[in-house]
Amino acid sequence: MAALVRIGSVCRGPAVPSLLFRSAPLIRPLAARKKDQDYPYFCTAKIHATPSNYAAAGSKAASLHWTGERIVSIALLGLGPVAYFYPGPVMDYSLAAVLTLHGHWGLGQVVTDYVHGDAKIKLANTGLFLLSAVTFAGLCYFNYHDVGICKAVALLWSK
Amino acid sequence: MGTSAQEEMNKFWAKNTRLNRPMSPHISIYRWSVPMAMSITHRGTGVALSGGISVFAVAALVLPGSFPHYLDLIHSLSFGPALITLSKFALSFPVAYHTFNGIRHLVWDAGKGLKIPEVYGSGYTVIALTLLTSLALTAL
Repeated sequence: MAALVRIGSVCRGPAVPSLLFRSAPLIRPLAARKKDQDYPYFCTAKIHATPSNYAAAGSKAASLHWTGERIVSIALLGLGPVAYFYPGPVMDYSLAAVLTLHGHWGLGQVVTDYVHGDAKIKLANTGLFLLSAVTFAGLCYFNYHDVGICKAVALLWSK
Repeated sequence: MGTSAQEEMNKFWAKNTRLNRPMSPHISIYRWSVPMAMSITHRGTGVALSGGISVFAVAALVLPGSFPHYLDLIHSLSFGPALITLSKFALSFPVAYHTFNGIRHLVWDAGKGLKIPEVYGSGYTVIALTLLTSLALTAL
């Protein structure tokens, strides 16, 4: 459910590429689908880790994840120039969130490609989740207690 | 009900591990191409940038001083202009490459530019843009 809400809230923004409109019909409550299926349907939106291990056949979780990745990538592309022209706390926290999520999902693909075996996959993804959590926490801490990401980049480059 | 794709993939790896099969030579013998090299560079720059951000975040949590404090510390070490320029380039290059190649990936995701000549053409464009942008950012 969380995945649907997230995509729904982002689709209100400007500059949405045409490929996203194809996924718009998917943004309907999952409860309506349950009656149509004979097999048990796992709630894949509980935790977003390794949707392929949780989802039953016919689930749209992987597809939604893919779309989510592209949306975040495009969002990050947009944030760059905006952060340059309008630095400040809003941009700092937005950058922290989008950067961490983009990195988390990106590293997740690397894990999926190179790590095999159920136990090792679970271990790697847990480690990745911890890393991303600490990264986000650290960036937020930096934004709150220190100069913030935008100012830090400006200072670093003025060296 | 049949097996899922995930189950089939797991079975493949489990069987090969169980039979102790050696892996066929692949990246050690396959001829490198520009798209191939650019693809792994995209992954490499992504992992490196992610790692760098994580290191920065952990440092922010662990180190006692403030960011300007550590910047002044580095200032006081009086690195030569060559080293400073090199460091700026070393930071700009992965960001520029990953960004431009990322846009190339998004174009592919939209279904465009997938013909082989187009792949090579967009690839060279990304390399050119990356070099120009990195040099421009370094000079800033």
